[in-house]
Amino acid sequence: MPSHPLRVAVVCSSNQNRSMEAHGILSKRGFSVRSFGTGSHVKLPGPAPDKPNVYDFKTTYEQMYNDLVKKDKELYTQNGILHMLDRNKRIKPRPERFQNCKDQFDLVVTCEERVYDQVLEDLNSREQESFQPVHVINVDIQDNPRQAGEPQPHPSEMDCQCIQHTEDMENEMDELLQEFEEKSSRPFLHTVCFY
Amino acid sequence: TEEETTAIDMTTSEKVVDLLNQAALITSESKLTILKQVQELIINKDPSLLDNFLDEIIAFQTDKSMEVRKFVIGFIEEACKRDNELLLKLIANLNMLLKDESVNVVKKVILTMTHLYKVALQWMVRLKGISDIQEACWEMVTTMKDEIILMLDSENDGIRTHAIKFVESLIITLSPRTSDSEVPKRQENDISLERIPKDHAYIRHSSLGQEGKMALEQLLKFMVHPAISSINLTAALGSLATIARQRPMFMSEVIQAYETLHANLPPTLAKSQVSSVRKNLKLHLLSVLKHASSFEFHGQITTLLLDLGTQQQEIARNMPNLKDVRKRQR
Repeated sequence: MPSHPLRVAVVCSSNQNRSMEAHGILSKRGFSVRSFGTGSHVKLPGPAPDKPNVYDFKTTYEQMYNDLVKKDKELYTQNGILHMLDRNKRIKPRPERFQNCKDQFDLVVTCEERVYDQVLEDLNSREQESFQPVHVINVDIQDNPRQAGEPQPHPSEMDCQCIQHTEDMENEMDELLQEFEEKSSRPFLHTVCFY
Repeated sequence: TEEETTAIDMTTSEKVVDLLNQAALITSESKLTILKQVQELIINKDPSLLDNFLDEIIAFQTDKSMEVRKFVIGFIEEACKRDNELLLKLIANLNMLLKDESVNVVKKVILTMTHLYKVALQWMVRLKGISDIQEACWEMVTTMKDEIILMLDSENDGIRTHAIKFVESLIITLSPRTSDSEVPKRQENDISLERIPKDHAYIRHSSLGQEGKMALEQLLKFMVHPAISSINLTAALGSLATIARQRPMFMSEVIQAYETLHANLPPTLAKSQVSSVRKNLKLHLLSVLKHASSFEFHGQITTLLLDLGTQQQEIARNMPNLKDVRKRQR
C-alpha cells in the first residue's frame, strides 16, 4: 500500500444508506474515508411515498432515531430505517453535506448520476486554489435499506480496494475502470476536477 | 514535571534543532510529522530561522521515502513564496526533483511550478537591476516551463493531467487580463501580461505574450490527439473553459476546439467514457455560455448544447444577463 493513503469520499443524496454503508465497509478495511450527502435536506422514507421525513444536516442520527421511534416504532423497524440509523450513529454523529466540506480528497465515489452531477457542479463552482486533482466516479447503487448487510462485496469496496493498491492511481485509473465495467456490467461515469 | 519545564524553556531554534535530529534518525512515517512541525516553526512561527535551517531541510530531498521528497517540494514552495530571493538557491533543487524517478514526486513539482512560475515572474519584474545569478535563475524557470509543456506528451497519464493544469495557468499568466475577464478572488493580485512593463530591462513583454499563445496552441494540439485518454480530455475541456472565461480574447479558439471535438470524439473511447466526456462538454459549454463575451458565439454554443441533449430551459437559464452583454457591446 502506498505510504500516503487515498483520501476517499463516498457520496449519496442524504448520507444515510448508500454512502453510509460504503463508509462503514471502507473504514473497516482501513481506508481514510468520509461520507456525505448532496441534497439540500436529509430525507428518510415516511408513512407514504409523498410524506417523507425531512431533517436538516445538523440533526444527529440519534435524534432522527428517537423521532422515528416516537412517530411509529413498528413501521420504521419493519422497513429497516431504525436499523440503518442505529448503524449510522455508530459510524459518526450526523450526516454531512458535501458542498459544505472544504477538505480535499483524491477520490470521490458517488452512488447515482444525479449526485455525481451535483458533486461536479459544486467542485466546478469552487475557485481553483491548489490545482490538486480529484477523481470523481459514479457507480450506480440501488437505494434500498434491505440490501444492507448482504454478503457480496459492496461495489465501491471492490473499486477502492483495487485503486488503493495501484502504485500510480492516476495512470491506471482508466484501465481499472474499464475492467470493473466489464466485470460488473455497470457503466461508470468518471471525470477529474481540481481544487 | 521537570521535562515539561525544559520543553517550555526551549527556544524555537532549539526546538527545530531537536526535531531535525529526531527526523534524521528515524525512517518511519513519523518523520513526515516531525518535518511538518519544523516547517510550521520556521515558516510561520519564526521565519527569521528559515535561512539557518534551509540546508538541513533541503537535504531531505534525497530521502528514500517519496512522501518525504514531496514534503521538501511543498516546503520549497512555501519558503519561496515567503522570501522570493530563495528562488535563486532553490530553483536548482526543484529542477533536480522534476527529474525524480517517482512520478508522484514529478507531479508534485509540476503542481508547485504552477504556483511558483507566477511568483518568479512577479519577482523578476519588480527587480531594479538584474544580476547574472538572477538571470540564471529566470533561465532555469523558463527551461523548466518548457520541459513541463513537453510533458503533455509524457507516457504517464497523471503527469499529462498535471501538465495540462500547468499550461492552463501559464496561458492565463502570459496573456493580458481585460475588462471582460473573469477574475477569481484568489487570483486578483496574480501577475499577468498587462502588468509587465513594455520597457523592462530584462523581461521581454512581447516574447512572453508569444510564449502564452504558443502554449495555447500546444494545448489545442494535445486535445485533438486521437489517443488522448478520456480523463485528460475532460481535464483539457475544463482548462479551455477557464481560459475562455478569464481570457475572452481566446473565446473563438475555445469554441472552435469544442466544436471539433464534438464532431470527432477519439475512436479509442469506450461507451461510458463517451458519456463522461459529453457530460463534461455540456457542463463547460454552459459555463462559457454564461460569460457575456461568448455572445457572438451563442448560435454555435446552443447548437452544440442541443446536440448534447440539453433542454431549452436549461440553456435559457444559463444565458448571460442582457445588460452585461449590452454594456460590453457599447
